[in-house]
Amino acid sequence: MTCEEFATVGLDLASGEADSLLEKAAREHLRECPHCTALHENWLALREDLRALGDETADAQASPRAEMRLRQEFRTKNKTFKTQRAAFVLGWSVAAAAAFLFVVTWISWHAHRTLDVANTQNPVVRTGPAKEDSLPAKQSNAAVESQSNEVLVASNNSGDFTLLPDSMPPVPEDATVVHVQMQRAALQALGLTVNEEHAGDWIQVDLLVGDDGLPQAVRLPQANTSSGN
Amino acid sequence: MQISSQEKDDALLKRSAKGDERAFTELYRRHQAAVFRFALRMTGSSWAAEEIVQDVFMMLVREPKKYDPGRGSLGAFLYGVARNRIMKHLERTPRDVSLDTSTDAGRVLHPQLQDSMTPARWTELRERREHVRAAVLALPAEFRETVVLCELEEMSYDQAARALDCPVGTIRSRLHRGRALLLAKLEMLRDVPKRANATRG
Repeated sequence: MTCEEFATVGLDLASGEADSLLEKAAREHLRECPHCTALHENWLALREDLRALGDETADAQASPRAEMRLRQEFRTKNKTFKTQRAAFVLGWSVAAAAAFLFVVTWISWHAHRTLDVANTQNPVVRTGPAKEDSLPAKQSNAAVESQSNEVLVASNNSGDFTLLPDSMPPVPEDATVVHVQMQRAALQALGLTVNEEHAGDWIQVDLLVGDDGLPQAVRLPQANTSSGN
Repeated sequence: MQISSQEKDDALLKRSAKGDERAFTELYRRHQAAVFRFALRMTGSSWAAEEIVQDVFMMLVREPKKYDPGRGSLGAFLYGVARNRIMKHLERTPRDVSLDTSTDAGRVLHPQLQDSMTPARWTELRERREHVRAAVLALPAEFRETVVLCELEEMSYDQAARALDCPVGTIRSRLHRGRALLLAKLEMLRDVPKRANATRG
């Protein structure tokens, strides 16, 4: 081993980090070279000083004040985190509730709208256009009859509409059939005569309502036939 | 033993990340002294060392996920974070070589006067230690950290390599250079005989 090689690995002898072969070669070199021996001894002395310096601060540690500050910071951070998390959860909960409410409202509105359309369209489809061939004719006949007869009687048997006094025959496309339940006596308000013995009966009445919203004709469904006029 | 220690650190860190203050406190107490000593020996200032300890553990409070257990132990990770903070501190105050020798508790870090020592010997020893301390603090940072870890902390080359996240060969070469610089600074080579056999095998 040369002095240069010893300078590279020789100082590891003391720390025990040298390879065993290198260590053996280095110890042989130390026996032969006074320069490297002096260097090694100086290093050992310095190492002892370094270890002593290390021992002086071996028990050194941060002050309790540092721990207190860190714990305080830890608490603050976690409190803030919990608050933020609560706000986050609350925010999302409110948003979810609003979305749920919106969906429920929309579904409800949509269902009502569908029902309204069905209520509006179904009778027209069933009674309006379907009876298009018969309604105008019958209405025309009824109009003629109403003009010729002073007392109008709702027809129970035919199932067709009876034009109310002073009403014009409605255009079938504009007419709407409204199913109502009323006391028989209320038919008097429409200009019809009513059997007073049954005036208090509740009956099902179909009203043909024009586009002005006023009833134009009336029909008593078959179910009420038994109760009579 | 090392594995169980790391597992305990990992478990404590997980609990700490969930807001368990006791777990954080235990984690702090397990590692603060080593980080503090490293910082103290690197900076020579107990005030700076304490600031660095605070920075290191604040990082652990704020960003616990920065530590990846797969890459090494928590201790090595904390050394790495401390090292970065120390380097920043040294960059800010490159000439601030403090010879602070007292702790906050007021304990003076001088050689203890032993019964066998004469006052003259004690004074000599104290001066020598001061020279050594100043020489260590005057080393360039990359050599200083290897000297601090391997000589003062008495870490093995492997442990130092893990702490500094570099190859063992780098530790070996830096330590060799650091030792040579220390010997030169302390003028310990002046009594060494000329290399008569420098070229001899």
